[in-house]
Amino acid sequence: MNLIDWVILVARVALPAMILPAIVIPLVWYERRVAAFIQDRPGPNRVGPFGLLQSPADILKLFMKEEVIPSQSDRFLFYLAPGLAVFSALATFAVIPYGGTLTIAGKDVPLLGADISIGVLYVFAMTSLSVYALVLAGWSSNNKFSLMGGIRSSAQLISYELAMTTAAGGVILSAGSFKLADIIAAQQGTWLGFIPRWNVFPQILGFLIFFIATFAETNRLPFDLPEAEAELVAGYHTEYSAMHFGSFFLAEYVNVIVSSALTATLYLGGWSLPGFHPHGVLGVLLSLLVFAAKTGFLVSVFVWVRWTLPRFRYDQLMALGWKVFLPLALVNLFWAAALEMWKAAR
Amino acid sequence: MERIVFDAAATIALVFAALMVLSRNPVKSVLALVVSFFFLAVIYVLLFAPFIAAIQVIVYAGAILVLFLFVLMLLNIRHEGSGKDPRPIQRIVGGGAILVFTIVLVALLSKHGTPPGLPPASEAAAPHIGDVARAVYSDFLLPFEALSVLLLAALVGAFVLVSKEHRP
Repeated sequence: MNLIDWVILVARVALPAMILPAIVIPLVWYERRVAAFIQDRPGPNRVGPFGLLQSPADILKLFMKEEVIPSQSDRFLFYLAPGLAVFSALATFAVIPYGGTLTIAGKDVPLLGADISIGVLYVFAMTSLSVYALVLAGWSSNNKFSLMGGIRSSAQLISYELAMTTAAGGVILSAGSFKLADIIAAQQGTWLGFIPRWNVFPQILGFLIFFIATFAETNRLPFDLPEAEAELVAGYHTEYSAMHFGSFFLAEYVNVIVSSALTATLYLGGWSLPGFHPHGVLGVLLSLLVFAAKTGFLVSVFVWVRWTLPRFRYDQLMALGWKVFLPLALVNLFWAAALEMWKAAR
Repeated sequence: MERIVFDAAATIALVFAALMVLSRNPVKSVLALVVSFFFLAVIYVLLFAPFIAAIQVIVYAGAILVLFLFVLMLLNIRHEGSGKDPRPIQRIVGGGAILVFTIVLVALLSKHGTPPGLPPASEAAAPHIGDVARAVYSDFLLPFEALSVLLLAALVGAFVLVSKEHRP
């Protein structure tokens, strides 16, 4: 490997990890403005044009604030938890393809961090580790509300992960591969000349289960039981202040973006469009835009749902996960298998 | 390169496995085990077995140990009672057993080393996920199904144990 290879490798891995947190800054502003629109009020509109500088101002405030640590907390784990939250959120993005193939210095560079043979499994492994951040934050704070939030998150994440992985099984079955690049390649072309061959159409049930389960995985309303400010103060991050609180905040929004990107890749064809074959730098830029548009649409749904639906009760949440989503995800798996059998028989 | 990664991962896995046993705090024991399992997964990747590595993280580190933590937190056991050792004999016997096992293991490994006829792990010889699935659902179908029945029996057993308390 020469110098150019190393630079390309580092850029492929490091750029998404740096750009994702940067996207969170306007995203927080966007969410607050949409929330204000839904609630018929102006929202943050004073700092900078359209209030766009509100988020940078808030971040500056978070960095300057005094850090308060509970005296009876477990120091090491208390500091570890927010870092772990950000790590698992960012590490998940490493295998998601975000654009076409770029040619630099005579080499084909696919736009994704690492093209590994177990792509989808890697994503689930990383999201399954994210639960430790919440559980550790809750436990190390030595606060009963934090602990309850941590316990809730562990039960909730395990329950919904099962439905989520089972739903994604249908996509893996139809692509015949765990690689995310292969899953995108399997969604090229059209049916009847105008319907894109995206997994969302044959597997609408799987898409709905997967997307709803990501709401539970990211602790967003209507599944934000680990926080539930009406019952648990602020749940697992009650005792956090300054930028350690900011880290949990950042991790939540990165998780929203990554979940949307993953859903777009598995069910909406990722960066590809029917009849669109990116060539050269312009084509690759267009593929990036296509990917950003699909992800952005799903992120908007996240925001829209948050300010529209009320929170579930905890027993309703668990019953929904185990008694409704898991059986339906199994039905979807059988349906996907039947489709594959029918395709093979033809 | 592989050697450095292997040595680092193996050392960390062993150190955290020891911490798991030595820690007085059950929650910290579970966390040490998580770290140990994670670096075990790193070693699986080095052996060109990414599927096993992913399953190791998803099932063991991501699900089973979270359940351990869940139970520990529900019961809220914070510290094992310090002060007088409640099990002095077990401590001595256990320590002795570890010592004997280590001596035997090191002696056997240094005498025999790698068994002959076992090729080193290579990317070309590594099984694909499809090969794993084919093996599980053809040659090893009976053990696989027997295992699932065993798990079902455990599930039913747990359910019976729990529901007994609610009976009038």
